[in-house]
Parts: sequence; structure tokens; C-alpha cells
Amino acid sequence: MDINRIHCENGDKCMNGLHETSAGRISKQPHRMGSLREVKVCLLGDSGVGKSSIVQRFVTDTYHDNISPTIGASFMGKTLQVGNESFKFQIWDTAGQEKYRGLAPMYYRNAGAAIIVYDITNQSTFDLIKVWVRELHQHGPENICIAIAGNKCDLEDLREVTERDGAAYASEINAVFGETSAKTAKNISEIFIEISKNLPPLEFEKYKQGVIQVDSPKKNKRKGCCK
Amino acid sequence: MNSLEKAVTQQIMRERKNSEREEMVNAILPWDKFSQWLHCICVVTFDLELGQALEFIYPSHIKLSDKEKMNICYLSFPDSNSGCMGDTQFNFRIRQTSGKVNHHLLVRRKEYDRNSPVILQSDPAHLFGFVYFRQVKDKSSRRGYFQKSVVLLSRLPYINLFTELVELIAPEFFDKGEELIEAACHDIDQWSNPVPGDTLQLPIMGTVLQVKIPAKGDIKIGALGIARDAVPQPMGSPLTVVPSLHAVETFMCLQPVLPHIQLLWELVLTNEPLVVMGPSPGITCGTVHALINTISPLKYMTDYRPYFTIHDSEFKEYTTRTQGPPPVILGVTNPFFAKTLQHWPHIVRIGESIHAFLDKSKANKPKKPGSLKTLESKPGVYTQYKSFLSKDKTIQKRLAKGIQTRRPYEVQDAMLRRYLLELTQSFMFSLERYVTSLMPLQRNISPWKHPPRLKAFDIEEFLRTVEHSGPQLTSGLKGDWESLYRRFFKSANFQGWFQNREEEINQKLLLLHLEALSEADLLKWCNEREEVEVVDLVLKLRERLNDITERNLPVKPELIQKLHQGTESIIRSLPEDLRGVLEK
Repeated sequence: MDINRIHCENGDKCMNGLHETSAGRISKQPHRMGSLREVKVCLLGDSGVGKSSIVQRFVTDTYHDNISPTIGASFMGKTLQVGNESFKFQIWDTAGQEKYRGLAPMYYRNAGAAIIVYDITNQSTFDLIKVWVRELHQHGPENICIAIAGNKCDLEDLREVTERDGAAYASEINAVFGETSAKTAKNISEIFIEISKNLPPLEFEKYKQGVIQVDSPKKNKRKGCCK
Repeated sequence: MNSLEKAVTQQIMRERKNSEREEMVNAILPWDKFSQWLHCICVVTFDLELGQALEFIYPSHIKLSDKEKMNICYLSFPDSNSGCMGDTQFNFRIRQTSGKVNHHLLVRRKEYDRNSPVILQSDPAHLFGFVYFRQVKDKSSRRGYFQKSVVLLSRLPYINLFTELVELIAPEFFDKGEELIEAACHDIDQWSNPVPGDTLQLPIMGTVLQVKIPAKGDIKIGALGIARDAVPQPMGSPLTVVPSLHAVETFMCLQPVLPHIQLLWELVLTNEPLVVMGPSPGITCGTVHALINTISPLKYMTDYRPYFTIHDSEFKEYTTRTQGPPPVILGVTNPFFAKTLQHWPHIVRIGESIHAFLDKSKANKPKKPGSLKTLESKPGVYTQYKSFLSKDKTIQKRLAKGIQTRRPYEVQDAMLRRYLLELTQSFMFSLERYVTSLMPLQRNISPWKHPPRLKAFDIEEFLRTVEHSGPQLTSGLKGDWESLYRRFFKSANFQGWFQNREEEINQKLLLLHLEALSEADLLKWCNEREEVEVVDLVLKLRERLNDITERNLPVKPELIQKLHQGTESIIRSLPEDLRGVLEK
């Protein structure tokens, strides 16, 4: 993967005149004609697999060992430039606990992408991603880009799910796949970049104002990002 | 320790204290951000034994007084609740009787209020309640009905934003249960603080609302209503732009009483007791807010209740016949009020269907109050009040034409708001100009004297200025402007407005005086004076420095430092015995 052409800005930095923080404070209208696409992304998966840590690593490039469980969902914004396109990710990091599972449809409603996370050291979290995939196929937005992240890949000694099993399942359902580590930052921004390339096409007739444009042709083929 | 060292130590201590205070203000605790927006969210349900009852409050550490709870319970359900099937939305306003506010929340709120247009300032003594009520058939319930309300409580008058917010939260809650309220509150706890002038993105339950917080001086906000200057959002975008925090649909709500719009404007302007009787809380609250807004950008200073019931804790106080009616605006739906408030001088009656009210001929004359016996009386304005200003036929004709040609509501709305804004501005212009003339001259600001203050408001002197350059020039309306002013001067609206202006101006004068002080050659002045005068100056300087902290004046730190240094160097120039006394 060509890392050099990718500029990953921190959540707190200015970009294209756009100033944003985690809960989005804007000082200027961010739209430079034809270059920015707002994308809603939601993270799903069992509790404790590291969803919040992945988001934290991606947005602020930090990592903490003990973070408290998410309640409902938390929200972060981050702009990512891939080539000459900018993507403004609205990231909804959902709670993994069972009691919040009923809330998930609000977070994947209108989402351009979903990252389903499991923990490679815990087989049961891998089993659960299939439930999420089924739910997204049945109730999620049409054409939603699904990415599967096998997190905690720094803990090789404790591994219960092989990379091959993860990759095989992902390719079976035509999803982006990567083994990630929020702790070491491995494949974190890569998975978002890969998502940006596999987003559902915009429905042009709905975007009369020309605020949003995508130059690159639609890509149907989904592939793993970290082989 | 010599005095310089001491001064430095003192300065350091002071700075440390300040920075500690600042840190306290900046540290974010759980629910701090939430509390900048909402007080809490309540769920009120119908209990077979108790009637309306609070099911739960979130965040759970929020304590409401029994009085507040009782008011919230009654005000969260329609009062005369027969036809309200399905979902209904409305809002109310109650007196706040509970709760101390954290020091640092208070600091934030003061800062917000200072930079905010007066009509959007936070309410220190009241809470607004934004209700989403659902009543549907439910076979599993013994009563056969599901009846429940979600209520957002806030000190901020963001009518539009919170109406929209509760509309997002409540239906999802009915579907998903308590976890939803928990999740929504956590979302709100991530919102940036409302800072006037900022455009914010507010994540809530999987969507993002974009709002602009108006700053002081953004006069058109509210008065001209919905400013769609934001980039139009494509459909399916995950961003929802909320065009205005608080704008109400003035035209839609006041359409049934349009022929009397100027009369109503006068009544609201002069804080006359006014009751709005309507068939549902949704209609009364829309009308009450629209009435309050007719005098925008002027703030309505006395109490108003978009929805008021016979169970309200202020019921006795407001309906008593032992005193005259209070200068408040009430919105009521219970037919009982037709009798209770019979003695009120001005009654606005709004019918069931606002849209059906297109026939203008019947409603042209205000009706005598005696003819209002029951709530079945015809819609209209019941009063014996004669307006001071002559009727503006042009606006009436233009709006009537708009109704005939089915002009879009937004256009009619903008037209009516602009008319009312210009009317209020014409009225206020002479007052503003007169107040400016009460300002002391720049050359009267001397570092050696007390800071000058605004001169007293002289009614007769003001009225003499109106004779030759009054509002008749800008508005073109004929009438008895003088008497209208006289009435206005007796009202809380005037007192509140003048107090506000006076404070603003006196603060500005204080700042100018501080600047003059910091630029003056203090030592040179002292050299030519008696000791007594010098000591007096030192005391005055300390008083000024005290002013800065107590009034939280927006002063540059360099200026404070300069004044401190000036004071210290004067003290150093004094004989030892005096120095000892002053350095204590």
C-alpha cells in the first residue's frame, strides 16, 4: 500500500479551513467545491473487542489500556485525505454491551460503512460478527460498505482466531478485511482508507447542489487492505 | 522581604489562584457539557393509582423539588385531554425552585449570557419544558391506553432546537426503552458548549444536527426568522441543519388574529395581562411564543406561560381577584379558565383550526370582554383597549393578498416578522438615541476622578425629543406615540431594557476609565500632591482592581498588571510608616 500519498490529519488539526474537535466545532464552512464527502461510519461488535480504542487511535493517535465501557454510543469526527479526495468521517462508536444492542439500528441507519470488530484472542467475539453481518444485510442500508477488523493482533500468543479464517469469512461476504491493533496502530488508518475506496456510489440525482462530487469511478471489487 | 518581592509574591499567588479557578472552569466533569444544554430529561407516565407520575429522571443525580415535579407532571399532559390521540408536541415554562448551580457552570453561563442576544439568554429563574406526548390504544393496559410523555428541561429558550430534539428522542424511547434516554444523554454530554457566534455539530442518536448559536448583535435572528444561509444539505446526507434555534412561526400562529396584530404588539410591549385560550397546548404555546416575539429584539421581561393549567402552583397567585391581573401572558386550554379569568382585560381566543381562519370580515373588530362566557366563544381578541397607533392598512392588505394568492407560509412569515421588527425598531430608535445623549463626554473621563456613569433617564426630557424627531418619521404610522411611551415607561419591559443598557454602558465607561488610569503617569501626579490625596488614589486603584474581578470585566491581563505595578510603585514612593499601613 502506498502510504506516502495519504495524509492523515489529527482530529484537532485544521484542514481545508475546517476546524473540528471530537464533538465537532466548526469555524468555517468546510466545503471546498467537489472535494469533501461526509461519511457516516459505525463500529459494531462485542464488548471489550476494542472498538473505542480503534476510534481513539484513528482520531487522536493515542491509546489507553483501560478505558471505560461505552454507553449508548460515542461520536468522533475526522477528516481523511485520500489522493485528491477528502472524506469527513462521522464515526459512531457503539456500545458492545448486550443491553444497548437494540439501539444499533439508529447508528447504522444512513451509514456509508460499518466496521465490525472482533478480538483475535476470543473466538466467541468472532462468532458474533456473523450475527452483525446478518443484521446489516437484513436491516442496514443498501450498499453499505462492510469492513471486518480482527483487533488485538499484537497479542499473537493468545490468538484463538487465525488470520486465514478471518480473511476467508470476509471475502465470502465481500467485505474489507484487516487484522488491526489499536495498541500498535497497525492497520488502523489503512482500514479507513480502504473503506473510503469502497463506499457506495453517491446518488447523483439527489445531490443537485453539487456540494458533493466523487471523481473516481465506482469500485465494486472489495479487497483486503493488509496482505 | 522587601516590598517588590512581596508584590511579586502576591502577584504570583494571585495568578496561581486565577489559574486554579480557570482550571476548575476548564476541567470537564461528567454531565458538565450536558448541563450547558439541558437540566434533565423526564419521563412522565399515567399511573392508574396516582394519575400522572414521574417514571424516571435522567441523569439520575438531578434532584427536582416536589413543586417542580408536580408542575412537570401536570404540564406534560394535555389538560383537557380528550381528542389528543397519537403524538402531540408542546412546551411549558415553570419557576425553578430547586438546585444550586456549580460555580464553574455559573461562570460559563454568565459568559454565554454576556455574548448572547437578550432574547436567547439563559433563564435564571425558570425552566422550559419541551414535551412529546403519546396517547395510543393499548390493549395490554388496564385503562386501554398508552399515555406517556418525554420532557426535556432546559434554561435555554431554544424553542426550535429542543422541539426538534425531543421529536427525535421520544419516538425512539417509546420503541426502545430507558437505554435510549441514557444513550441520548451521553450523546448530549459530548456536545460543545453553546458559544454565541459558533456553528456547532451536535451528534445525537446516529445523526448530527448543525446549529448556529447567534451572537449579540445578530439582530435578524429571530426577528427575521429562519436564515437559511447554511450550505443546502443534500438529501441522505448524515447532517441535519437546524435553521434556527428558537424562531417560531409567527404568521402561522397569529393568523387568526392578524387584523389585531398592532394592538397585540402594543399589549405585549407594555406588559398588559394577556391570556390565550386555545383548544390544545400545541396551539397555545405557539401563540404565546409568537406574541412574545412580536417585540423582538426587545426581551419580554415578565412571566409568560406557553401552557398553564389549573393544577399549576401559581394558579392561585395568577387568578386571584383580590388584586388586579398580573402582567403576564398565559396560554390555557381548560374551559374552566373562561370563567376564572373572566375579569382579565385582554383575551385572545384561538380556534381549533388555524387554517380555516381565512374569512377576514368577521374578525375585524375587537370584541368586548363581557361577551366571552365559555370557551365555545368565537375566535378573536376580546378587549376594550384602544390602540394608541393608527392601523397600518398596507401590511394588512399585503398579508391578505398573500392569503388569497396562497403565497407560501415562509414568505408571509418573513413579511410579518420584518414588519414587526421595523415597528419595534422605530419605537426603540428614539429611546436608543436619547440614551446615547445621556453618555458622558470622552473628555470627562479622567483618571483622577471616579469613573463617570450614565445620567438619569428623564421622561419629560425624552418626550420633548420625540415631538420633533420621533418614530412617526421612520415608521410613517400616525397616532399617540407619546402616550404609548408613557405606558411603556411604567412597564417591566422598559425597566429591564433600560437596566440592561445602563449596565452595558456603565461597564464600558468603567473600561474606558481603567484604560485612562493605566495610561496616566501616576507617579508624576503623586509628586505634586498631598499625602492624603496619594493614599486616596491608592485606595481607589485597589477599588478598581477589585471591580475587575468582582464584575468579571473583560480586561487584558497587561492592563491589570500595569495597574498593579502602578499601585506598588506609588506605595514604594511613600514614607515608611505609611507604606506599612498600605501594604497590609
